[in-house]
Amino acid sequence: MRLQNLIVVFLLLDCSSILAQNKQLLYDFMEVPQALMLNPGARATYQWYGGIPMLSGISAAAGTSGVTVNDIFANDGIDITTKIRDKAIFGMNFRDEISGTIQFEFLNVGFRSKNRPSDFYSFGMYLEEDMITYWPQDLAILGFEGNANYIGSRFNLEHLKVRGEVVNVFHFGINRKLNNTLRVGVRGKLYSGILDVSSTSNSGYFVTNPGENNLLANTLVADVEVRTSGIDGLVEGNQGVSQTFLKRALLGGDLGLGLDVGFTYRLNNRTLITGSLLDVGFIRHTKDVKNYTLKGSATNEGISIILPGDLEDPNRDFWQELVDEIEELIPFEDNRNSYINFRPTKLNASLRYNFGEPLASEEDCECTSDGGGLKGRQPEYANSVGGQLYMINRPRGPQAAFTAFYMRKLGNFLALKTTYTVDKFSISNIGLGMSMQAGPVELYAMADNLLGYRNVYASQYASFQFGLNIISWGRK
Amino acid sequence: MKYFVPLFLFIALCGSCMQEQDFNQFENLSIRPTITSSILYIETTEEFINSVVPGAFYAEEFNFDAFTEDFFAEGVLSGVLTYEVENSTSKTIEIVIELLDENGIVLDTEPILVEPAPPVFTKMVEIAYGPGGRSIDIIKNTSAIRVSAQNLSDDTSISNELDPKIILRSSGTFKVELK
Repeated sequence: MRLQNLIVVFLLLDCSSILAQNKQLLYDFMEVPQALMLNPGARATYQWYGGIPMLSGISAAAGTSGVTVNDIFANDGIDITTKIRDKAIFGMNFRDEISGTIQFEFLNVGFRSKNRPSDFYSFGMYLEEDMITYWPQDLAILGFEGNANYIGSRFNLEHLKVRGEVVNVFHFGINRKLNNTLRVGVRGKLYSGILDVSSTSNSGYFVTNPGENNLLANTLVADVEVRTSGIDGLVEGNQGVSQTFLKRALLGGDLGLGLDVGFTYRLNNRTLITGSLLDVGFIRHTKDVKNYTLKGSATNEGISIILPGDLEDPNRDFWQELVDEIEELIPFEDNRNSYINFRPTKLNASLRYNFGEPLASEEDCECTSDGGGLKGRQPEYANSVGGQLYMINRPRGPQAAFTAFYMRKLGNFLALKTTYTVDKFSISNIGLGMSMQAGPVELYAMADNLLGYRNVYASQYASFQFGLNIISWGRK
Repeated sequence: MKYFVPLFLFIALCGSCMQEQDFNQFENLSIRPTITSSILYIETTEEFINSVVPGAFYAEEFNFDAFTEDFFAEGVLSGVLTYEVENSTSKTIEIVIELLDENGIVLDTEPILVEPAPPVFTKMVEIAYGPGGRSIDIIKNTSAIRVSAQNLSDDTSISNELDPKIILRSSGTFKVELK
């Protein structure tokens, strides 16, 4: 049973190989209510909406900045060991990553305040799985090649950086139109951590040098820590995996708080600036915590015997003494100390220019439009172009993605958005998104790095988003 | 709209270019690092040698479990044991290194004749195991090392070298199959 539990835990974490996903197609795509999750200050013009549970807000992304599946498994007649040596072991460096994200929305509802129509409230619950693994370059070389041909070369333990979590998020957001030009929003989040693994602040090295006495000296200087929470309980616990998982998801796990903030500023009738900061928060891990540490330093030159002094005790076990000495100098220990993890904070920003045919707007306006919009409403247009910036705080520092987009609305039933994104995974990421509405039912689907589908195994990044909502636009 | 349709078609057409994959080739992956480490260091002074009547002056059997660790014993393919002897004493010494299994049975014997100083005598001996060398099973089954030394000279002569000693250094370098 424990093995079964262990497998489930690792599958959960493995499937979640995430990097919090850049949702450049969804960002500021206001025909889709889930865009409010990316900017709580976005132009929410709905009267109310509700996501269809388990069918709204589904998204997944996976990326590798280094080797691809095709690099290793292509049926090209090249020996796989050679491919791994060339493409992974010596083809990737410690800044390369394998990452991914999965998000399921269980509940997402929004409604406009009756007492204060400029306010729009939204709340819900979603499950997020997130993992990022940086390529442990030196450790991979050491494992693949060994140390014999690397005398004098240090293998850096800092290259070990991994972080993964499964967390259930409860959220409540307020979106308020302050005036004709500025709309702001804030979303509070309560995190219920289910699983967490992190090892991000390691240091030290392993090196083999010519010895002072003997032929060689192997030196290990280590300050390595792997922190986990939730895993021990799932693997060792008496309750079933699903029961434990559910309990931890529903506020029985590690709790944390977070905040999203955002705004939309209308520079003029055609130009908008938006920005948001998401997941400024933390989770305090206190339950089922198990941490592993390897701290210390030792140099080994083998069994050392100096005569005649070492002859005094004929029963000495020199080998065991050596092993004990090393274990004492670099103890491998575990503890159950609670710890705090900060959430991977994300920044979104965009500049958008609308043009073309004026459309019936959903948004009331106290202004008299002189920019081509319809009088009494905020001007909306059939076309938009612009640029977006996405940044996320990762264990090796911020990562950025730049996006150019074009958006086209076809009446009130169809909106399309295409993006071109440059990030560390790809410089040819073209994405397409679509929102289709039939009455109150809205369906959206988005996918990016479409050129990668020419050979999906060679793609370094793939993501999709999908959802089904019921929306009331409150059109008059 | 007129641009989107051709773009969708273009992408759909591209979808047919997927390269064939062979995930079974993972079975052929071979990970064989070559690892190296010092094994044994023994040092003795000429004074100690002279304190014992000529002949065998040292014999010691060391427990050595490194070779019997599962990952090593199951995966070791080949390797080299290197012995380096440095003698600055006035003695002619014979050192015998024996590899023993867990029952004390001698699996391998390497005698090394050490000539006296001056000049300081240095000798390096490399013993290969595995293909082209001695049986790798010797390494796989070694759980103890016995070192003995015999003074083939007298017990009175004194070397002119500063701090005369005889030193045995050793290391092992092995290719191990992890997968």
